[in-house]
This record gives sequence, structure tokens and C-alpha cells, in this order.
Amino acid sequence: MKFLVVDDFSTMRRIVKGLLNELGYTDITEADDGNTALPLLKNGSFEFLITDWNMPGMPGLDLLKAVRADAKLAKLPVLMLTAEAKREQIIEAAQAGVSGYVIKPFTAATLKEKIDKILASKAAA
Amino acid sequence: MSQAETLDGRYRSHVTDLASALDGNDEAAFRAAFERLRAQLNVEMNPELKRITSDALSALRRFREQARLEVLADQEVPDARRRLAHVVKLTEEAAHRTLDLVDQSTPLVDRMALEAAQLLEEWGLHGSRQLAVSSMWPERANESLERAVRDAEHVRRYLSQMLLAQGYQDLSGQIIQAVIRLVMELEAVLGKLVSLANGEETRRMPVLKLDATQPMPMEEGSRGSGPQVPGVGNSQIVSDQDDIDALIASVANQ
Repeated sequence: MKFLVVDDFSTMRRIVKGLLNELGYTDITEADDGNTALPLLKNGSFEFLITDWNMPGMPGLDLLKAVRADAKLAKLPVLMLTAEAKREQIIEAAQAGVSGYVIKPFTAATLKEKIDKILASKAAA
Repeated sequence: MSQAETLDGRYRSHVTDLASALDGNDEAAFRAAFERLRAQLNVEMNPELKRITSDALSALRRFREQARLEVLADQEVPDARRRLAHVVKLTEEAAHRTLDLVDQSTPLVDRMALEAAQLLEEWGLHGSRQLAVSSMWPERANESLERAVRDAEHVRRYLSQMLLAQGYQDLSGQIIQAVIRLVMELEAVLGKLVSLANGEETRRMPVLKLDATQPMPMEEGSRGSGPQVPGVGNSQIVSDQDDIDALIASVANQ
């Protein structure tokens, strides 16, 4: 399964990549904000997007909206992995069509559970 | 009160000249009389204006000196910004160093566990208990290998937790970047204040280069506000994962 991990902090990208490796996912590409992620998504065949929210350039929420507005990418599972914990922000992400939302700091178990859940609901759809 | 100090003494002649020029429809005389009146008014107003201007400039100079405005604007506040950016850089380097060590340690632990398990399996097949009984193979070697397999699993879990713990660099970095943004604003305001106090129309503003260690531009609506800090802000926070899932599900079902 091809993952794209988007975060402006290189340490967080490495952490998520390391955890995905532990879960058996090894095909992982990184991007540091929505502006670099979107062309990769449009030109690639990614099956799962994990994105931060608060990033320079294009933030994660705008990337999510762009993904949902693109006919080719509209069904892509998008997990938001972010420090943004305000109720209105979570609602905003949900309204924009986020598949899952995990607040930093998080545990490996939470990440695994969310990915499994998102993939299961995608398979059932 | 002398004649020069009375209203009549100061202005009657000007008013008379103006009235005479009007009566005679003499525009040149009227203009000349008006200029004399204006000059008289300037003479009276200027000292007061000069005093107010001088007081204001003195107050600004005192403020600038007492508040160390120039030192703050030119050196200390920009230094504070650079120090904070350096902290972000140092923590980033430290986190990467730790992640490097985790990356290097993980395959070593995996290999240790694998080899110990393989040895246990081989010796099991060849009857290690019998070897131990005949003193050709000490019983504690088996125990040691079994323990090595268990310990390797523990170390593997600890390494995974060390990996996750480096997430502090992302969270602390975001918080520090928010403070850097504030310092940048303060720097700009101080620069303007110094310009004002020096009577300068323009002033060299701070050169702010955005790079990996610099904060992002000012927050916009969709940009987010970074990690929650205890005692800061009054928004309703949802941090329990079950509550987040429920919130997402409730919106999705609407």
C-alpha cells in the first residue's frame, strides 16, 4: 500500500514513517506541505494520505479540501495527524471529509487502530 | 496690562486696515493687511507650537532612552528571535540524532532475537537437554537464549516508544514558532517606535528570512493555531480519541 506522509517537521515525518514500517507498510513518500503533496498525489497512485494540519504554504485542511474536490483523488483515505485539538477545528475537518483524526501526541496503537478502521470501512464501501 | 498685551492693542489696527481696504474695494491693500494679520498670529502661535513640539520630542527621547528602545529594536529582540529559532534547530538535530540511533539499533536487536530463536530451535531439535545432562552444553545457555529473545522484544518496544517520544520536537517547535511570530511583530513595532522617536521617516526594518527554522507566515483561517498550552486560550478542546471519533462520526452522519 502506497502512503504519502505530509508534515512540515522532518522529525514527525520520520516518526510516522518508522511506525508505518513497524506496521508492515514500507512504500512511503514524504512531503513537507500541501503544495508539494498535491502534485505528488495527482501524479502518483497513493492509496493513503496522512497529513498534518498546521503547515506553511498549503495547510492540511486546504490539502484535504483539494483532495476531495479532485475527481481522481476524492475517495482517497485521509488521516489527519495534528496538534489542532479545538472542537470547531475537528468539526471543520469532518465537514471537509476527513477519514480519521488523531491528535498529537499519539500512540502507535492509536495510529494502527485508525489506519485499520479507515481501510476496513473503505473495503466495506 | 500694556497696550501690546491687550486684544485691542494687538489686533485693532489690522482690523481697521482690513475694513478700510474692503470699503475702498482695494484688493492689494486687503491682501497686505491680511498678511500682516497672519504674521502677527504666527508670532503669537509659534512659541506655543515650538514648546509643544519640543516637549513631545523630549518625552519621546526620554522614553527611548529609558525603555532602551534602540537596543531592544536593533539587537536584543532580534537576538531573542534568533535564539528561539536556534532552540528549534537544536531540538530538531537532537531528535534526528535519536531517530538515527533508533534506526541503527532496531536491526541489531531484531538480528539478536532472530539468531537466539534460531539457535534455540536447532538445539531443541538436537536434544539440548540431553547435551546439558552429559555436560556438553550448560543448561543456563538455553535459559540465556530464551531470555535474549524476551529481552530483545522488550528493547524493540522501548525503541518504538523512543521513536514516538521524539514527537516532542514537533510540538515544542510549533509552540516556539508561535512565540517567534509574536517576537517578529514586536520587532516591527519597536522599529517604528524608534523611527518616530528619531524623527526618521523611514527606517531599516528587520530582514526576516523564512527557512526551516523560521516560523510560518501569520496565521490564516485554515492554518491552525498549533498545540494547546495549559492556561493559554479558551477554546473548547477535545483530546480524548473516543470523543474525537464520535465528533467525526456525528458530522459524517448529518
